[in-house]
Amino acid sequence: MFRQILFTQWKWARLPVLAFVLAGFALPLLSAQAFSESYSRFWFAPLFLGQLQSLGAFYPLLAALIGLIMALTAWAADHRGRHVYALSLPIPRWHYTLLRFGAGAVLILLPTLALWLSALIATSLTKLPMGLHAYPTTLAVRFALATLIAFGALFAVSAGTSRAAGIVLGLLAAVVLAQLLFDLFEIKIQIIDAVLYRIYIWPGPLEIFTGHWMLFDV
Amino acid sequence: MSNAVEIRDLEYRAGKSFEIRELALNVPSGSMYGFLGPNGAGKTTTIRLMLGLLRPRAGRITVLGGEIPREAPRVLARTGYVPEQPHLYQTLTVDEALRFHAAFYRTWDWKWADELLGAFGLDRTRLLARLSKGEMGKLEMLLALAQRPELLVLDEPTDGLDPVVRRDVLTALLEYVSQQNATVFISSHLVHELERICDWVGVMDRGRLVAELPMHSFKSGIKRLRVANAPALPGDTPFVVLSREVSAADAETWIVRGWQPPMRQYFEGVGANLRDIIDLDLEEGFVELLRTFRVPQS
Repeated sequence: MFRQILFTQWKWARLPVLAFVLAGFALPLLSAQAFSESYSRFWFAPLFLGQLQSLGAFYPLLAALIGLIMALTAWAADHRGRHVYALSLPIPRWHYTLLRFGAGAVLILLPTLALWLSALIATSLTKLPMGLHAYPTTLAVRFALATLIAFGALFAVSAGTSRAAGIVLGLLAAVVLAQLLFDLFEIKIQIIDAVLYRIYIWPGPLEIFTGHWMLFDV
Repeated sequence: MSNAVEIRDLEYRAGKSFEIRELALNVPSGSMYGFLGPNGAGKTTTIRLMLGLLRPRAGRITVLGGEIPREAPRVLARTGYVPEQPHLYQTLTVDEALRFHAAFYRTWDWKWADELLGAFGLDRTRLLARLSKGEMGKLEMLLALAQRPELLVLDEPTDGLDPVVRRDVLTALLEYVSQQNATVFISSHLVHELERICDWVGVMDRGRLVAELPMHSFKSGIKRLRVANAPALPGDTPFVVLSREVSAADAETWIVRGWQPPMRQYFEGVGANLRDIIDLDLEEGFVELLRTFRVPQS
């Protein structure tokens, strides 16, 4: 059963997955190349590490993009068929959802493994100065977790009806509108800041996307 | 005789314009139950409620002894379903669609699936998106039959198919039913098709069940009568007068239900002259039934 679900999901998402594998493989190599170039130009570690941080922003972006695309492709075919096929299969709804989630989780492992492999290769080829270390496995684990969180959150949103999606979008619009009104009347309440704080600062669910994503660090 | 499907006091509402009210329905085990109704009557919604795809507001649904929606997965494992619209994943090939479907059914019969594939002339390597409407109809029926179900629920399975494909699909269905003694619940607005194959009929209109009876009773009980010197008020008739209209200067045409030959005496008793008794086919009976049902509501 799981094999068949995995097969369908692979069939729907194979092109994006292959693109993500390539991107996941390329990122650590690019980081290593940027490191070597920066190191030859800046002798002071904080300067070239600062240069590398800009490249580090691509890791969480890629993780979020993988989560988004995999979540959308997991449900797209069922949405098109108004879920009639899925609901008429002889398994409980939670079981079917779990199978689709599991298949998506297996597929997002592929770019993660590519990233890990590439990070290992990149670090083995890079000569590090004293005081700096490579973190290929830590980076790959963090990337895997971020991808899984993005996939999980977006999978849940994508699984919902258009009404549910409308409610979520409506809530977001309400927050933005409220903030605009507060600013207009010079009321010193920062709703957006408060919401972002709750989401991005520990124990917020998206905290993993923040901070520095470094393959090489002190 | 036990019932494969029992529905009691079913209530369902979709938006403001459509609702199913106090629906009660019995599908005897081993029967071929024709579910008739005009477009928008609520046939597809009733089927979806029956299979647990939708949740009712109130009422009780029992299918193959299992309560719906609580026991839907267990019931669906023994039920073949052909929906109104093709519902399969269009990006799969025929072979992939078979493998996907088979993985969910323990009773799946590969040998028979292969036989049907040959009989229907379906190409295993063809993408579902490239299948014609007829081929898709055949594939849907193949998937429903090859899982060897005890109950087949078919929602307009031959709608839009050409006569050759329709014959192929119905032949496969009848062959299966004769072998397995399965129950078939078939919804359609193609009245003549149901007339040939069904032994029970249920008629639905505007979310309510108008009639449910054995096909022979339905066909033989509805008559068109030509009556001369008909009374202005029919009074206490032994049959149900569905409609009456003036057809000539001294004659009227009555459509009646529940007709039996000894009921002729009624006309003698009221001083009328029964000139003619005409059998109505299922379609005419169906139309008259709906017309009568709608009169008091409109």
